[in-house]
Amino acid sequence: MPIHEKTLLAPEQVLTSDKLVVDGVDVSGHWNTMILPRTVTDYDPDFYQTIQKYGGGENVHRCWQCGSCTNSCTMYAINTDFNPRYWIYLVNLGMVSELLKDKDIIWQCVSCNKCTNICPKDVRPEGVMKALQHWMEDQGHVPKAKSTLFDEEFARQCLERGRIEDSEVMTKFFKKTGQNLMELATKGWLGIFVARMNKWNELKEGRIGRFLARMPILHPLHMALAIVFKPRTKSWGRTGEVLKQYVEEQKRVAHG
Amino acid sequence: MNDTILVVGAGPTGLSAAAGAASIGRNVVLVEKENVLGGAPILSGYAKLVPSGEWAKDAIGRMVRRVESDSRVTIHRATKVTRVEGDHGDFTCTLSNNQTVKAGAIILGTGFTHFDSINKPEWGFGTFEDVVTTTQVEQMVAAGKIACPSDGRVPQRVAILLCVGSRDRQIGREWCSKICCTVSTNLAMEIKEISPRTDVFIYYMDIRTFGLYEDKYYWKSQEEFKTKFVKARIAEVTKAPDGRLLVKGEDTLVKRPIVIPMDLVVHAIGMDPNADNPEIAKVFGVGLEKHGFLDRGEQYTSTFSSTRRGIYVGGAALAPEDIDTSISHGLAMAMRAVGELAGAVEKAA
Repeated sequence: MPIHEKTLLAPEQVLTSDKLVVDGVDVSGHWNTMILPRTVTDYDPDFYQTIQKYGGGENVHRCWQCGSCTNSCTMYAINTDFNPRYWIYLVNLGMVSELLKDKDIIWQCVSCNKCTNICPKDVRPEGVMKALQHWMEDQGHVPKAKSTLFDEEFARQCLERGRIEDSEVMTKFFKKTGQNLMELATKGWLGIFVARMNKWNELKEGRIGRFLARMPILHPLHMALAIVFKPRTKSWGRTGEVLKQYVEEQKRVAHG
Repeated sequence: MNDTILVVGAGPTGLSAAAGAASIGRNVVLVEKENVLGGAPILSGYAKLVPSGEWAKDAIGRMVRRVESDSRVTIHRATKVTRVEGDHGDFTCTLSNNQTVKAGAIILGTGFTHFDSINKPEWGFGTFEDVVTTTQVEQMVAAGKIACPSDGRVPQRVAILLCVGSRDRQIGREWCSKICCTVSTNLAMEIKEISPRTDVFIYYMDIRTFGLYEDKYYWKSQEEFKTKFVKARIAEVTKAPDGRLLVKGEDTLVKRPIVIPMDLVVHAIGMDPNADNPEIAKVFGVGLEKHGFLDRGEQYTSTFSSTRRGIYVGGAALAPEDIDTSISHGLAMAMRAVGELAGAVEKAA
């Protein structure tokens, strides 16, 4: 007997023993297939307030499930499991375990904001995706997203010195996300990226030209100096500490 | 030729028709089968009306007093029309109090009957005390207290089930009752106003808060009062061992069965054809349409005509209708009745 609507079941809900004897009857294999109940037995009606406290999630309770967000979604076109409409519904009724089934793809939102522009109730689904990702990171449901790691490094430099150093943001970001900078520069997209930024086409010709194109001289020199000397904004003083304290306070107020 | 107008039914439609015909100098006889004037909003003890937000007893009370204080209107309470003879311009009507009324035209504002939830036993009304109807919650709101009938506790959770007695072929109700979505979203807000810590869930197939009720009721209820809208038609209401109610159904948006504990379950009951319609059809010689409401005649140039000349029908006697529209129907029928009689007089002269 095939299981109808099998797509509705998570694999761990379907139990089958290879060998099983019940009351002397051999029911090995699919004869003993049991399905764990899928019944929703309660809501968490206040859960949406948790998400509302993250930037972007403020309007999540307005959703009336028209599905415009999912229909317009760039990611949904590639992966139909990426369903903002559905996650918003789960947030509003507080079906957290159902929500967490998709925890590993919510970060994929590319922030094209087509959903935000089309939403008739101004729910701002793109913001909800961000809020969800941040909530999941805070709760430890998912590792920090690459964008979060980037933000953290960016903010760290801002607070410490009142300015950022592009090269340091980049190198630290690549390091934290486990990407090999040298490999990306010599073989990967980073080298091509730099080469394409190069305005002197003739430099791209020949072995040496290609090497030089991928190895700009002055900019890296400037960046290297900045890494060594780590200049701060003039009169920065304790500003960073005060700002940091303020940010932490605000976080405490919002999320407890 | 008689220019008296007989109005049957003293709800919003009839009260409006009577006042309208009297205001242009006609004598009106108003016949109401109940002992109290005002129709469903008064008899069923509605709370605040949509969209004015006025208490029903104040708003409809004003309509009643306007008619009662009008010397051109003769009122028969606790009375029915038992026989109608004659034709347009010259009807002779016998009342159940044995009086006879001569009238040129008849206006039927005979209204509707609330759906009796006992006809949907699977939803627990009549079985569990804490399953009630929107009418009962209206009365609770009017009394200023939301409580579970079983033990008087304030409900933590209320489920309002839409389309109870509407859009249901199983029980022969194939119409949308038009006002229950708006009434329910409004009730959710009123419940929250009385008990801010109560969570209200509305179980829906569609939300049909038509016209300006969209944002004033549906959106407001969801956005400001945090009413939860769950897309599920409940299959069954049962009771948990702890005494709370369980609503069972399928949430079609998550494609999963649900069994959710609730303290109070409210049936958003629809509008049935008036239970007396077969009798009304027989007495007045007018037709019924396929659902059992009173039938219309030609609509575009003989607006609000019934299937019999000289008899007009409007309000919730025609189809599920809201109060404001019923009031407009009443006034329009007065215009039609008086105007057509005047035309008949001219032709005769």
